[in-house]
Amino acid sequence: MVKYSYYPGNVARQSSSEVEDTIQPLCRSLGIELVEIVGYNSDGGNIIKQGNNDLQLALNARNIALAEKNGHDIITACASAQGILHDSLETFRNDPIALANANTVLSKTTGMTAEADEITTNHLLHVLVDEIGLDKVEAAVLNPLDLDIACYYGPHMQREGACGGDDAWNPTYMERLMSALGGRPIEYKTKTSSVGNPSLLSLGDSVMKMTARVLNDAKSAGAQILVSACTQSHSNLDSYQGKAGRVANKDTDIPVVNLTELIAFALGHFPDRFAQLRTRALLIGS
Amino acid sequence: MPTVAKVWIEEDCITCDACEDILPEVFEVTDDTSHIKAEVREDGSTDRNTGFSAIKTEFRSEFSELIEEAADACPVEIIKFEYEGGAVEQAPQEAAPVVEQAPAPVAVATEAGADAGVLAGVLSGDRSLAIFFGSQTGNAAGLAEKSAKMAAAYGLEATVIDMDGYDVSQFASHKRILIITSTWGEGEMPDNADELWNATCSSNPALGGVHYSVCAIGDSSYDEYCKAGIDWDEKFAALGATRNHEIKLCDVDFEDPWKEWVNSVLPRIACVDSSGIFQEELVEAMIAYGSGDEEDGGFDGDFTPGQIEHAELSITMRIFRYNPIMAQSGYDTVAVAIPGHASIEDALVAIKREVDGSLTFRSGSVAGQNPLTGVKANGRILPADTTRICDLVSDGDTLTIEPIPGYDVVKDLMVSYDRFDTERANSKPWMEADPRQGERLISGAPMGVMTSAEATRLHTLADVGSLQLVNAMSDTYDVDDEYSGPGLALQRWVRSQDPRSGEDHVTQMFELMQRKGGVWDEADISSIKRHGIDGSQAADSLYAARSRLLAEYKFSGRSGRLVKHYSRSVKMSGNVNETTLYRSVLGPLGLGSNIMNGVSLRMMLGFTRNGGPMMRGFQGMLVPPAGIGKIPNMFNSKVANHHEVVAIFNELDSRF
Repeated sequence: MVKYSYYPGNVARQSSSEVEDTIQPLCRSLGIELVEIVGYNSDGGNIIKQGNNDLQLALNARNIALAEKNGHDIITACASAQGILHDSLETFRNDPIALANANTVLSKTTGMTAEADEITTNHLLHVLVDEIGLDKVEAAVLNPLDLDIACYYGPHMQREGACGGDDAWNPTYMERLMSALGGRPIEYKTKTSSVGNPSLLSLGDSVMKMTARVLNDAKSAGAQILVSACTQSHSNLDSYQGKAGRVANKDTDIPVVNLTELIAFALGHFPDRFAQLRTRALLIGS
Repeated sequence: MPTVAKVWIEEDCITCDACEDILPEVFEVTDDTSHIKAEVREDGSTDRNTGFSAIKTEFRSEFSELIEEAADACPVEIIKFEYEGGAVEQAPQEAAPVVEQAPAPVAVATEAGADAGVLAGVLSGDRSLAIFFGSQTGNAAGLAEKSAKMAAAYGLEATVIDMDGYDVSQFASHKRILIITSTWGEGEMPDNADELWNATCSSNPALGGVHYSVCAIGDSSYDEYCKAGIDWDEKFAALGATRNHEIKLCDVDFEDPWKEWVNSVLPRIACVDSSGIFQEELVEAMIAYGSGDEEDGGFDGDFTPGQIEHAELSITMRIFRYNPIMAQSGYDTVAVAIPGHASIEDALVAIKREVDGSLTFRSGSVAGQNPLTGVKANGRILPADTTRICDLVSDGDTLTIEPIPGYDVVKDLMVSYDRFDTERANSKPWMEADPRQGERLISGAPMGVMTSAEATRLHTLADVGSLQLVNAMSDTYDVDDEYSGPGLALQRWVRSQDPRSGEDHVTQMFELMQRKGGVWDEADISSIKRHGIDGSQAADSLYAARSRLLAEYKFSGRSGRLVKHYSRSVKMSGNVNETTLYRSVLGPLGLGSNIMNGVSLRMMLGFTRNGGPMMRGFQGMLVPPAGIGKIPNMFNSKVANHHEVVAIFNELDSRF
């Protein structure tokens, strides 16, 4: 068993409970033990940072300190959370004053301090490809996906050092994973473009246009479904799908699922949900 | 058919025996050179026949054809002959491969110690100098770099070439070559030179037009002191190259002897003119000419860095094309073989020259990065004139070049920057210094007061290559016509932070950033931050500007409400309470819009798509409307040790 400290992100245990439902069994199937970060808090979503950068850093320092107490590197299933955690770690490693300031607050309020030297933060996708190995994933497949799948990475973790061994600008890890799971990955242009999730509630048309651009690109390229490595962005791509299509005047009807769901389905978990997805793909996919 | 009347041997025979093998009756090869035998000559001498003695009449018709064949076979082309009647013929010369180079400025020492007039002839035309290094530990490579920097003082355009991977057939394309090499082990070539040495020895290319010199680094405690350099020196001489300067042998303390060599060899090799002739009489003038740059060891500076050459890449280029007259767009695909160190612009220039002259793009200048040459290369927003191909793709890869997003495409890769220019003019980014605090001159005019630390901070903030490109890095700029972009936001933020700016001007900058089209119109700063140093710089400025504006405008507007209620939500439970956040930020009108647009319905019916619990979807209908007191703590359970989170908030920001 490979052990990781599990950071669910901001929504996996709130509105996107399907992520929590599926990541647990899929990790068990692949020999990954998710060790709970007891008392973890929100990473600030880069929204608290807009009001107070030091505050967001201190909140992340607390999560890092808790994970260090666990003694395992961090894993998350949300690209946004991965990007924010990576940024915080990078800041602490490159700016000793920022780390000292965060630790001063942390020590005073929690009695802990963060070392932030050796611990790493990883997205599930990169753990599966770099650590577990796609051959092992492929061997564990019980229900091959057999769908044309567009992979959405978003911009948050697509930076050098934040996306494992994948190419930050032309990533292929998710496509390779989909192939291993028996799916047919579809190439499209905007797989690392933003859908404007941090401004979903504060901006109107531009976020809808950004969302519609990704959905329409994926659908035009022939995808039956779109799989998102970003739990936060899933909200734009799914709940706001119809509004985005109307604002941008584009065809955006396509089933959107989280990455953890699709992996779990292929590994034999939730066959009822998988059947439901296949039906939706047949009815509204391209 | 004409018959050969005279045959003679020019200098630099490599004694390869080819002529003697073909016609032993006429040619005799000694240890030093080939000779024309006495038996066939009118004067009865055996030497190179530099006196042009005629061939005896009885042998002419018999040997003519074979003399021509021997001349043809001579690898260094030094067998010359004359037909009866006086016509001089020589073996046809195969054209040397030409290395095409992008035009580069010739660095000329402006403080030269001599009038460049007498050197005008030698300083014109091709001024390339190839400096090869064979290096095991980096010493020779470092000396090659320094030599390249010094070469500019003599009007030479130096290219530093790693011997590793170099095509031996290209040696002959250079007129001027310097070799700096160490010796490894017991007289062996360094690893990066081994392959080229073997290729040179096996192919023996003719180097008749090359002028060269060698600087050899070694350790005199070894028997084979500087052997690698000596081998190159002797080999080049044997292949017909002209030794422009004697080889220099450098012991472990190589710095001083290298300086001696390079100071001596550069003015000499700089006197090889563009036709490949060494103008020895100009050496003294050249020494004086170049002396201006040699004081104080100027080669240690970084002003004229040598260029490292990367191996050629064979790539496929997909280039966006747009014909405004036909209103047609698409992609051209071109297979390209190009040096890895070439820039994107070099590749585009080559394609325009050799494939399609109608290809349109903005080119840079010789002065450095042009902020308007930006392109989108494999998804990255980059300046075409200063981005190397080898930094983007590997051999066999595809490189897709598109116009940068956010601007109207004029033709192909050329975009119009009118949008940027108009928005910049509207934002009045120039300095308005008065009234403000600070010093005043006697005339009453204000004088800027700024500490050096503050000046450094401002310079660092504003240190991006192109504001136009920074704008294009935003995924929002492309879809929002009213957004002025992160580049201009950065400029406004820097101006607002400048202590020399007048108070009114600072206020004006804040208002521009706060209102529609300002910093809050950026939907996702992370899409900018991933674009290298410039993107990161702009992203950090956006965050800083937003933070300042929230304090200045007291969390007003929907964006302000989002930050306030998001933060309070986290403080209340340790995690985000999305359900209440929607209502707090959107307000009744926003919620109504979501209901009308079907968003709320899709949220409620989420369980039908993901198999989650039905109540999870319906809970969105159960919370109170926005604007009633604080966000209720009604759905999130508090995280363990929640008091720690509250304490962090209280410690750092009491506003939430």
